[in-house]
Amino acid sequence: MPFAGFNMPINYKTGIINEHKNVRNHSGIFDVSHMGQILIENNESYLHKLEKYIPLQLKKLIKNRSNYSFLLNKDGGVIDDLIISNIDIKDKSYLYIVYNASRKKEDEEIFISCAPNAEKIYEKNCLFAIQGPDSINVLKNIIDIPNNMNFFDILISKYDNNEIIVSRSGYTGEDGFELSIPNESAENLINLLLKNENTMLCGLGSRDSLRLEAGLSLYGHELNEKITPIEAGLSWALDKERLEDENLNGNKVLSDQLKNKLSNKKIGLISTSKSMLRDGMTLFDNNNNEIGKITSGCFSPNLNKSIAIGYIISEFNTDNPIFCEIRKKLELVKINNLPFVKKNYKKNGSIYE
Amino acid sequence: MGAYMSEKKYTKDHEWVSIENEIATIGISNHAQESLGDIVFIELPSVGNSVKAKDEICVVESVKAASDIYAPIDGEIIEVNNNLENDAAIINQDAENEGWIFKMKISDSNQYSELMSEDEYKQFLEQ
Repeated sequence: MPFAGFNMPINYKTGIINEHKNVRNHSGIFDVSHMGQILIENNESYLHKLEKYIPLQLKKLIKNRSNYSFLLNKDGGVIDDLIISNIDIKDKSYLYIVYNASRKKEDEEIFISCAPNAEKIYEKNCLFAIQGPDSINVLKNIIDIPNNMNFFDILISKYDNNEIIVSRSGYTGEDGFELSIPNESAENLINLLLKNENTMLCGLGSRDSLRLEAGLSLYGHELNEKITPIEAGLSWALDKERLEDENLNGNKVLSDQLKNKLSNKKIGLISTSKSMLRDGMTLFDNNNNEIGKITSGCFSPNLNKSIAIGYIISEFNTDNPIFCEIRKKLELVKINNLPFVKKNYKKNGSIYE
Repeated sequence: MGAYMSEKKYTKDHEWVSIENEIATIGISNHAQESLGDIVFIELPSVGNSVKAKDEICVVESVKAASDIYAPIDGEIIEVNNNLENDAAIINQDAENEGWIFKMKISDSNQYSELMSEDEYKQFLEQ
């Protein structure tokens, strides 16, 4: 199916549910080469310009660590969500940024305006994710992974005499790795990984159900230019000191939002029937007043029920029943704390030196 | 009409129909099941309803999407496959036998003759 200009498989031959369970129980491999990957020289003037959009203190990022962050517009709305890492390649220090395929145009306009010599390495590097509790065992036979590598650690390793970028990360709620590897070595590496009989190729379908169970936001669903990270329940990813900095887009909006009550809140929902909750469905209270909308919905293989993420008005008391309109009928849904399935990361560290 | 099992026919909406003693059995084709992917839920039609060809009468939900099932011909719904309520994945395993969805008493057998034969359906899929 077409996805952000790429032809991507929803699933491979065994189906979404099987791929999903294989990642939760063993491991699965995702080709995410459609995503943007860019290298920006770690130079003070570039970082200062980028700090207008990115709510982190970029100069203080710890070497060999990744961070979840955003590009923000003037109103504090999310232009994109991304992973930004501080790494050295061939003795030169870079910010390595991975961003959404659907936002390449908007993001790259910003990156290039801040750092004209930024290098779009997705033109020569594939990006693969191996996810699931067995990922470490499948990978360590092929690539050196230090024992003390934690979730969101990132390093340069070697494969096929080429330098590759290895990060312990992913978007499934499981332990796992992402590998940025030159195109010419990619197929060889994938075939080697697939020799392990408990791993398999996985498509966009299971990637979506895994991230939804893990309560993770997806751009174009929970996130867009009209929603701030705070409204999306992601204020943990903002550097609070940066909110006082006039150089940061939307800093006033964001610091006000932190102090005051928001108009909407993000919630997790679980179906009480077998009907599927889907993106765009409307939520009602028991007096038939519209109180919100679903932004992502799917079948959860782990819970054997449909689950969803959505936004409702903050004043709604969540002790009261919520109904979802499914094919013109109102069906009762239950609030469920996010994540739906506990995250299984190898422990986290702090973000600054 | 005597007691005989007719040839299986197909609609452009990827349903199959077979007729025995003026009773039509309807399900979705194996091709439809493959493109829908894992089926997790089916909203079965109501027994006793009279329907016209092309009416939306029930919904199949897969992990990917909800798909309407249409009545292939005019008639009355007389039976539904209750096994699917607990295990809609039967359709993935055996779409054109155990995965049947509902039965109809048909009112116009000409409508049935106009549907595609298996070969015609195969050609239709290749287009």
